[in-house]
Amino acid sequence: MARVNNFIERSLVGALSFLKEGIFADEFAARHGFLQSLAPQIKAITTLVFIILVLFAKSIFFIACLYLQCLLLALLSKVRLGFFLKRTWIFMPLFALFIAVPAIFSVFTPGEPLLHFEVIGFTFIITRQGILGAGLFISRVITSVSYATLLSLTTKHFVLLRVLRVFKIPQVFVMVIGMCYRYIYLFMEVIENTYIAIKSRVGVRVRYAQGQHIVAWNIAQLWQRSYQLNEDVYKAMLSRGYSGEPVILNDFKTNKRDWFWLCYTLTLAIVAFYFTYWMR
Amino acid sequence: MHIPDGYLGPATCGVFYAIMLPIWGLASNTVKKTLKARQVPLLAIGAAFSFVIMMLNVPIPGGTTGHAVGAVLVAILLGPWAACIAVTVALVVQALLFGDGGITAIGANCFNMAFIEVFAGYYLYRVISGSSPITSNRRVIAAGIAGYVALNIAAFTTAVMFGIQPLLHTTPQGQALYCPYGLNVAIPAMVGGHMLIFGWVEAVVTALVVKYLQKQDPSLLAAGEEVQHEDHG
Repeated sequence: MARVNNFIERSLVGALSFLKEGIFADEFAARHGFLQSLAPQIKAITTLVFIILVLFAKSIFFIACLYLQCLLLALLSKVRLGFFLKRTWIFMPLFALFIAVPAIFSVFTPGEPLLHFEVIGFTFIITRQGILGAGLFISRVITSVSYATLLSLTTKHFVLLRVLRVFKIPQVFVMVIGMCYRYIYLFMEVIENTYIAIKSRVGVRVRYAQGQHIVAWNIAQLWQRSYQLNEDVYKAMLSRGYSGEPVILNDFKTNKRDWFWLCYTLTLAIVAFYFTYWMR
Repeated sequence: MHIPDGYLGPATCGVFYAIMLPIWGLASNTVKKTLKARQVPLLAIGAAFSFVIMMLNVPIPGGTTGHAVGAVLVAILLGPWAACIAVTVALVVQALLFGDGGITAIGANCFNMAFIEVFAGYYLYRVISGSSPITSNRRVIAAGIAGYVALNIAAFTTAVMFGIQPLLHTTPQGQALYCPYGLNVAIPAMVGGHMLIFGWVEAVVTALVVKYLQKQDPSLLAAGEEVQHEDHG
């Protein structure tokens, strides 16, 4: 029996939200806020330091302080708080919450009982260790996601990808990443147009097996087009002076504010590591 | 399959970055030797292709949808070393720009999807295909089996990463610091879901794409094998 299958809609929504991401990033990155004023490489390094701090932290209180700092940075960078919270809380932290909830019970995390109740004859015990573990897990996920999102929101995407060379990543990788980003837009546009065409011809009432054929056909078509595109792109690269070795322009400049922010971040990291690991 | 930040402890994240560094180096050198200059854009195209496959929803029985990873497919089309770079690039772009997969977990995610899944899938495909012609049905079946098995192996290694966290990082009072579930929960939860649902999505997509390419342009399937032959030669 044919049944309504929303894979076309979902793929279209996915493609559109991807295109929107780029527009949002450009819009926020163009604002005159604190993070936007920092040199991209300093911003990337300091964000990475904060994410590593969150990874190593063992105290919910410290992670909560880092989270508050992230929200403050979002405000100082002229990112609307409502938008930022919606964007960072939906999906990843909610999924983490879904994963963490069973861990509060003694069956997964034995320990000191805090609360117990019965449901249809089964006794459920919530433990102190379970609650603390789940709390730490969720706070770690939400804070890390928030810092990563703030970085991608306040930096133009192509600039953020170029920053990778600061981390001594081989130029061929940086070049491929930069080119890949542009191709993704092209491919999303191709997919969007193809799916709109399919939707206009066959509607949304598709058997799932037929739907799988449609998706596979799309992927095969995309690869065929991509392969043909390769030759044209190579000729375009040659005409722009490509000689077999990628050259990436270095135009990142730093000022006093960048160095101050870097010093603050590194000092915070050293103090946090000292209290977390050496002062125990 | 994409592990976010906060699920794995620093030791696991560090170890998998350390494991992936020489693999990325080897992949970069191998690809430099085997890919002709004019095929360089193909790496970027392969990475974008891999990214887009992960965004395409595939209908599954019951009216819901899932998505394929496409790592085995990219390996069949580009060869395993180029696929390793392509899937790595796709994962880096997802983590950095779209928050899909953690930045500290890039090493672990690449180990699972850009190394384990790519190489297990590719060599399984080659072994099952044997010396059959490029347009034979055996290759379609080989692609499906390789997609299914490789995804499940990758799901298993992901589950092991999750499952060892309570062993590595638990306070003396018994509080988990990272992923709270041990191997006895993580492995059945991850592998079960992939064996029952997502593995089949991967198998169907990989097999059908190979079938379509056999009909439309078999030379595209031969290209991936040529690259690998040049590498061995």
